[in-house]
Amino acid sequence: MLRSLKTPVTFALFVAVLAILAFPVTAQVEVDERLPEYKPVQGVSGTVKSVGSDTLNNLMTLWAEKFKEVYPNVQVEIEGKGSSTAPPALIEGASNFGPMSRPMKDAEADEFEKAFGYKPVAVQTAIDMVAVYVHKDNPIAQSGLTLPQVDAIFSSTRKGGYASDINNWGQAGLDGSWGNLPISIYGRNSASGTYGFFKKKALFKGDYKNSVKEQPGSSSVVQGVASDKGGIGYSGIGYKTADVGTVPLAKKQGGEFVPADFDRAADYPLARFLLVYVNKKPGEDLDPLRKEFIKLIFSQQGQEVVVKDGYIPVSYEIAKQTLAAVGVDIDADY
Amino acid sequence: MVWLTGGALAICTFMVFGLLFLVLMRGLSTFWPLPVEQVTTSDGRVFMGEVTRDDDYQPTDNVIAALTGEMRQAADVELASGDGWAHRRLFRTGNYRITQNHFSWVNDWEVDQLEQPEWAMVLERLEWGRFYGFPEAFVKMTLVDRNGMTEEAFRNELRRQANLPAPEGAAMRLVARGTGSVPFELVDPSDAATASSLVGFAEVHEGAEAAWHGFREYHAEVRERREDRRQLEKHDTGRINHRQEQARLKVREIELEIAEAEAKGQDSKVTKLEAERAHAQKEFEEVRVWADREFARIRSEIDAINEENSRYQMLFRTAGEGHREPALTFQRLDDIVRAYPANRLALGEKLALFGSRWKEFLTEEPREANSEGGVFPAIFGTVAMTLIMSIAVVPFGVLAALYLREYAKGGPLTSAVRIAVNNLAGVPSIVFGVFGLGFFCYVVGANIDELLFAAELPNPTFGKGGLLWASLTLALLTLPVVIVATEEAVSAVPNSMREGSYACGASKWQTIKRIVLPRALPGIITGMILAIARGAGEVAPLMLVGAVKLAPELPIDGLFPYIHPERSFMHLGFHIYDVGFQSQNSEAAKPMVYTTTLLLIGIIATLNLATIWLRNRLRRKFAGGQF
Repeated sequence: MLRSLKTPVTFALFVAVLAILAFPVTAQVEVDERLPEYKPVQGVSGTVKSVGSDTLNNLMTLWAEKFKEVYPNVQVEIEGKGSSTAPPALIEGASNFGPMSRPMKDAEADEFEKAFGYKPVAVQTAIDMVAVYVHKDNPIAQSGLTLPQVDAIFSSTRKGGYASDINNWGQAGLDGSWGNLPISIYGRNSASGTYGFFKKKALFKGDYKNSVKEQPGSSSVVQGVASDKGGIGYSGIGYKTADVGTVPLAKKQGGEFVPADFDRAADYPLARFLLVYVNKKPGEDLDPLRKEFIKLIFSQQGQEVVVKDGYIPVSYEIAKQTLAAVGVDIDADY
Repeated sequence: MVWLTGGALAICTFMVFGLLFLVLMRGLSTFWPLPVEQVTTSDGRVFMGEVTRDDDYQPTDNVIAALTGEMRQAADVELASGDGWAHRRLFRTGNYRITQNHFSWVNDWEVDQLEQPEWAMVLERLEWGRFYGFPEAFVKMTLVDRNGMTEEAFRNELRRQANLPAPEGAAMRLVARGTGSVPFELVDPSDAATASSLVGFAEVHEGAEAAWHGFREYHAEVRERREDRRQLEKHDTGRINHRQEQARLKVREIELEIAEAEAKGQDSKVTKLEAERAHAQKEFEEVRVWADREFARIRSEIDAINEENSRYQMLFRTAGEGHREPALTFQRLDDIVRAYPANRLALGEKLALFGSRWKEFLTEEPREANSEGGVFPAIFGTVAMTLIMSIAVVPFGVLAALYLREYAKGGPLTSAVRIAVNNLAGVPSIVFGVFGLGFFCYVVGANIDELLFAAELPNPTFGKGGLLWASLTLALLTLPVVIVATEEAVSAVPNSMREGSYACGASKWQTIKRIVLPRALPGIITGMILAIARGAGEVAPLMLVGAVKLAPELPIDGLFPYIHPERSFMHLGFHIYDVGFQSQNSEAAKPMVYTTTLLLIGIIATLNLATIWLRNRLRRKFAGGQF
């Protein structure tokens, strides 16, 4: 390359390559170019205290690290033991951000309203696909499952309408040596938002089987499935490793099997927003700390972090809408 | 019987050493640099990275049936010779930005070519994890100040500088501001007329050797500036911030006093306080103006360092991930923690790298949601918590045990207390955690907040989990160990000695102090050793009373009052749980789990050894003082 660059023709090529590669066209997932760059403002101080979802745990930590880079004087404390821990912490004032991987239940929002007189605001920070994970050698990752089949695997009530219970991989449509392999089910504990989301969407609000091995974190579900040949489990797409496969899902019998790929998020049956709840009094501005943190989330830098953590960044339109809910104008306030 | 007991001991020893050996091997090997291998599959895919694991498995028929051509043949041969078993390797391919993948499995039958390219480099970066690629060029940009020159004059000046004799082996290029999200473009000096918005010039050192040389020449310097920037970010801003917060709290305190005085109807006091408030308010405003100015200054210093550092970049070519074409990509030296051509390292260089990774692990803060960087805050938190716990539990436990043994009359009550203490040792640790949260944080802490930190409410100071509450909770947890050990030690002191002391006219307390305690001390310290071992390894209760995923602020720092026992802290045990079961890139985090475990075992062993050394010293000291 050393000598070749001395000639003008190849040098032009070199420049072209540079121009292309200086920005990340090579990435599969891209941040919406219309999202603004984050620029620091003055007068931000205090503690970012976040209590809530385990799925969002790493994401919140990464955002906080970015935030600390911009405002080194800010202190950061992050806890992520499950979405159910977010509302009580917000109500008690023990946190200023409540990350949740499911929307608040009515009871939780009412409890909040009882304490403050208004409802909390949900900020839609990123898009997640709850993937159904299987062992990396499991051929079901090439074919797929329908949601009623998933329901018949995970649920004892089968509200999805599948005719019979599925207990081994043969009943799920595999043959050969896989046919007799019993299915071993991994899931999350009930404090998890992913648990609630999966129950609502994939189990049609039915009940989990007693044989589900409940794990304390998303990553432990994936690790459990990775080391169990007959294993199946569910978790956010950000936790995928090389040791598991994701199962393409179809809404119903005969529907199209949609893989959990980033470009298919719109059609994927178990896609969801990752939310961060904040306590915002209607008609009043957020304090600088929370306002700037939320602005950072929806900036180029913040949504890059979403890609880094394995989730899907939000579009300009979603960002604009959700920022408006917390009193930030995406075009004017950056 | 000899066989039975000997067998039991052998099994115990085997299990303990097996565990230690596993942790030691896995923990130590984490930081050893592996060679980088590039594999080309027979259908033209390329993977480059470190081989982290391999396994043997039995591929199912449909997998084999889906294969074609060369691969099918290779697979058939392998399966026939391996009796249905096949072998595959896990490559850590990195380059997550490009592939959305950290690791890839490659079956042996897919492999067409396997090589260790000489110039394959490994980059450990501040963000986005590892990068594997070939160095193509080292670029050092210089941005020239326009200084009021006309476009023409500026171009001439640039061209003049760009035409200055370049350092050996380098080519000079002009740098133009790019369009869209392309920050800079390189332009041939002869094409300068066509390029718009020139901003400076660049030295380009092409070739792997030259690029690597450039990296080594400038990386230390860039790193040093990064260190300066961190100093600015952490210490200087922390100091300013603290002063600002103090000024704000002062105003708030006076406001609270005013409210109190108003409620009591003390008008004269209110007027006096109002004046004070105005004064404090003015001071606060002044501090705020000063702080804003200081922050702006620090900000501009940081920006200057950033700009200076982003002048140094390296151009890399990737090997091509899977089906992708090889890509060229720039890496800023500022983002690189460490880079090395893995296949060219001599043993000495490998050792140096190994050492430097350990150093980073032990002394730095964690990065990237704890999956990279060091664990220093966690080490600090663990040691501080264990020490505070020992300071709290030992005197308390010893006094309680002395009363039980020396003063209390034997009876049903004493027995009941003793049974209760022993039972306390059997209570699950999480119960202590719940108690600590409910009692220390929500009752004691909340009351302290109301009395002393009312100005900071509603943000809790002591009314939440923190180092002090965690230490006290663990002190409660380990109290039975200390009491039981002390009781045993005290009761082992022969009664004849006590009677001898009484016969000389000593009082009860004198006897305890001079005769009983010194002889019981080694036993008491044994209790302390057990308490430390129990306490430092406990995680479950800590999750409730103060251990958190990320808390880089240490409980001791240079800001008044220097010790902050109310702060949340990081703990190695909780860190192991977090990295092992909560991290996004769990495959890469697994080795870190072993390393952190090794470190935790090491720290507990060190604390225990220190206590044993203390015990032996005390033993020697008191041995001479006995009859």
